[in-house]
Amino acid sequence: MIGLLSTASGRFYLKHPWQLCLAVTGIALGVAVYVGVDLANDSARRAFELSENLVLGRVTHQLVGLDGSLPNSVYRDLRVEHGPVLAAPIVEGEVRLFDSPGRRFTLLGVDPLEEPGLRGFSGFVPGGGADLSRLIVEPGSVLVPEGLATELGLSTGADLELIVGANVATVRIVGTIREETLDPEGMNLPLVTDIASAQELLAIDGITRIDLVLTAAEVERLEALTIPGARLLPAASRNAGFSELARAFRTNLTALSLLALLVGVFLIYATMSFAIVQRREIFGVLRAVGVSRRQLLLSILIEAAVIGGAATVLGLALGHALASGLVDLMLSTIGDLYFTSTVTAAEPSALIYWKGLAIGVLTTLLAALAPALEAANTAPDAAMSRAALEQTARRVSRSGARLALPVIALGSLLFIVAPRSLFVGFAGLFLIIVAGALLIPAGTTLLLRFAEPAAERVFGIPGSLAVRGVSASLSRTGVATAALSVAVATVIGVGVMIGSFRVSLAQWLDATLIADVYLSVPDSTATQNGFTEARLTAIEALPEVAGISLSRFTTLPTVDGELNVRAIQPGPQGWGLTLLSESPDNALQRLSAAEGVMISEPYSYRRQLSVGDDLVLPAAEGDKAFLILGIYRDYISDGGSVLMPLDLYRREWNDPRVGGVGVYFHATTDRSSARTAIRALVREAPSIRFRSNDAIRERSMEVFDRTFKITEVLRVLAGIVAFLGLVSALLSIELERARETAILRALGLTPRQIGTLALTQTGLLGLAAGLLAIPLGVVMAALLVFIINQRSFGWSMGLTVEPAPLLLGIALALSAALLAGIYPAARAGRSSVATQLREE
Amino acid sequence: MAAGTPSVRLLNVSKTYNSHVVLTHTDLEVAPGEFVVIVGRSGSGKSTLLNLIGGLDFASSGEIWLLGQSLTELTEEQRATIRCRSLGFVFQFFNLIPTLTVSENIRLPLALNGVSKEEAKIRSGHLLHELGMADCSKRFPEELSGGEQQRIAIARAMAHKPAIVLADEPTGNLDLDTARDVIELLDRTCRAQGTTLIMATHSREVIGLADRVLTIRGSQLEETTQ
Repeated sequence: MIGLLSTASGRFYLKHPWQLCLAVTGIALGVAVYVGVDLANDSARRAFELSENLVLGRVTHQLVGLDGSLPNSVYRDLRVEHGPVLAAPIVEGEVRLFDSPGRRFTLLGVDPLEEPGLRGFSGFVPGGGADLSRLIVEPGSVLVPEGLATELGLSTGADLELIVGANVATVRIVGTIREETLDPEGMNLPLVTDIASAQELLAIDGITRIDLVLTAAEVERLEALTIPGARLLPAASRNAGFSELARAFRTNLTALSLLALLVGVFLIYATMSFAIVQRREIFGVLRAVGVSRRQLLLSILIEAAVIGGAATVLGLALGHALASGLVDLMLSTIGDLYFTSTVTAAEPSALIYWKGLAIGVLTTLLAALAPALEAANTAPDAAMSRAALEQTARRVSRSGARLALPVIALGSLLFIVAPRSLFVGFAGLFLIIVAGALLIPAGTTLLLRFAEPAAERVFGIPGSLAVRGVSASLSRTGVATAALSVAVATVIGVGVMIGSFRVSLAQWLDATLIADVYLSVPDSTATQNGFTEARLTAIEALPEVAGISLSRFTTLPTVDGELNVRAIQPGPQGWGLTLLSESPDNALQRLSAAEGVMISEPYSYRRQLSVGDDLVLPAAEGDKAFLILGIYRDYISDGGSVLMPLDLYRREWNDPRVGGVGVYFHATTDRSSARTAIRALVREAPSIRFRSNDAIRERSMEVFDRTFKITEVLRVLAGIVAFLGLVSALLSIELERARETAILRALGLTPRQIGTLALTQTGLLGLAAGLLAIPLGVVMAALLVFIINQRSFGWSMGLTVEPAPLLLGIALALSAALLAGIYPAARAGRSSVATQLREE
Repeated sequence: MAAGTPSVRLLNVSKTYNSHVVLTHTDLEVAPGEFVVIVGRSGSGKSTLLNLIGGLDFASSGEIWLLGQSLTELTEEQRATIRCRSLGFVFQFFNLIPTLTVSENIRLPLALNGVSKEEAKIRSGHLLHELGMADCSKRFPEELSGGEQQRIAIARAMAHKPAIVLADEPTGNLDLDTARDVIELLDRTCRAQGTTLIMATHSREVIGLADRVLTIRGSQLEETTQ
């Protein structure tokens, strides 16, 4: 019996190949987007872990300098005076390939004699001509990853040109390195050199850190020691901040992919439920001739499983292809945002494909279950009645609308009960979206009821016919409209969120970039960075210059990860801060008087610190508490930063270096000639980087746009899924109306009028879906801006609703709807009315 | 249309579906106001003949004139215009538009013919009154019985006073008593308006009312003597 029922199902799709094709496309796209993002996410996560593991090896702890470097003497003292420990000094920096400047590598300066005990560098160097001792005897020699050497066609003895800071240096390859287990292709490995060569190449006097393999007792002993300017940290904490942020970034992408999947689920539901309700009469007949409910239900579920399985396999292949594009985008975003030099793509886990398969098939089964249960449980006579079906659809749509309110309440409750959880935030967001979807069928009916008098006034009865045709087919149009609205709302919501962020960033840049020119050195730990006293005085003395600001940007090692320090001596226009909260008694004046520090908004959010709290920082003389005078907006560093007067920093950290200079011109100065004069003053110091205010703003916006490129891609994908889904649903609805169309043609409607009618109907549906998507999209944007972004990155921003994303949403819905109307419209003109009447 | 011009004229018309011959070398003339019944076994080609006359289908060969105009020479738009102005259809399965009320279904051909909304409302009201269904004007087709639906379908077909009504098995879905009422209504209305009525049917009772009976047998159209 089931075989016969399955044959009947198969023949239905053979007779309606376009419907099958569109159903498969809807499911495949939904799965592809989810799997694609998941694969890319996993690949990025594994690449990050890989690079961390490769560099850390067995290292348990690191002794790091408070200003980013340690004097050489610290290592000697540690080995000689504090007893035997397994330790290796490290000098680390970033280099780029001269021939391919986009490719960054970590240059790892090691002590070849100490390395074997820590990172197992002997295992790291399985041959290939590698000989660690050659690193010592040959200055400027390096070991390169085997994969890189092969790719560039370089063999032992060849020279390799590297960009280090602002300079180009040539190194000699004395061997290659390979790591069989973690990185068989060897593309994530660092360039390894001797510590002295690294110091010379990177122009560093001291060492970056000391890597240690410590027992618990040794940790206790070393922690008891006070090593000036240094701090002992667990190795894992070094990248704690990055890991946390990268996780938030990935969570966001996963959520977006889930959103795309949600859209996909709606589409799967729309296509499957449509394919089922379309055959209600057949099911009624089958029930009437004795097919049991169980048999009917089973047959429908088998059909769904077959279609879902085939479409999911297609979706997995599409997702795989999509992932390769997304990985590059994602890694470039991570690179832009967080800077990690060794992250490149890694093979994702095969589990994702299985997960995608399960999600695709189960979702299709779930989507088919509701209409299948409904079809199987309806009495045979009612199953054959279209009126009964539409009555049920109207009842369900009203119940759905009533259910929306408690769902919204539940979603809002989630935001309140877990005010900091990102996961719960997303759960709340999803509930609000579901509530929106529940409201849409009833909303569409209501909207069309208002539109009907106008349509009748303009087009007469055919106008009314068009409007009623849409609302009378709620069983077909309800889910399709909900699916389209959710998808369009996603497109609108993400668009508004990006737009809001962009506007907030632009406003923040205007408030922050108050100097006309910024001079900086790429590596402010270098001993000779070009900011000599004489040069600074000369810049300040220029007639075009009204004043200068000095800054020293560095990082402090803390157990919560690295904390960015912004030490500033403000220029004539003040601090350039956007304060979000401040101490009541003139915070900026107190800051200038070095009575405390300011912290960035993300840091305040993440560490739950408020104005008036004490912030304990590792100062040169040991931990010291600083009063928090205010919280400022900072979109550059989501890891968190602390801002303090330069004098205070110099006093507490004994670091007199300057890393950046802001130059302020007089209001009447010719900016072009002023810039030329400054360029002339810094020409002889190649390490000094010259950037105008405009260039930084432009670059910042560029990075922003690149950061959100992946979001844009997902937004476009959600749009495509929505577009195809709507075309599929509406096309099916219009094709189903072939008989009604034939009757109208028999009554004398011309093909042109029929075409207009079809386009009006689909257009109305699209317009309704687009209009309903606007409030839902704006609500989504508000939740993304005020809840999700805040919880992910600690950033607050304003909500700016510009017309462009809203119009784009409506245009998307309308164009999909009109496209769906074109084929039935054209078909109406081509085929014979008699054939259409006979076929139906 | 000139006086004496037949409402319908078929000359040597044949219709073939793939290799299946439905009608061959069919000639027919129907005078204005005439009531012609076409009988034949199921699948004999009755509906095909009506569809060809109504311009819903295309003849494989031969010529068809409707109210003096050759359908062969007309574009689809022009055919639609003729259907809209001069033809009324009554189908076996009523084929009312489910999303329009009874009154709106009747007003639909009037609206298509450019009759004002007010005038259309008055005319549909009259028709419904004549049918004894004035209280049904705001109901939807699904709320009516089969007989009531077919009465509304007849009212829709006659509302714009067409020159020709084509009825394809209009009683095929009704019980005998209702069928009789429907046929009488159709006959009475058409005769009152001088409308040509061509009906495909199996009903023997209809034959007695018709002016002429034609039979399709073996793809040939034959005149049947009553």
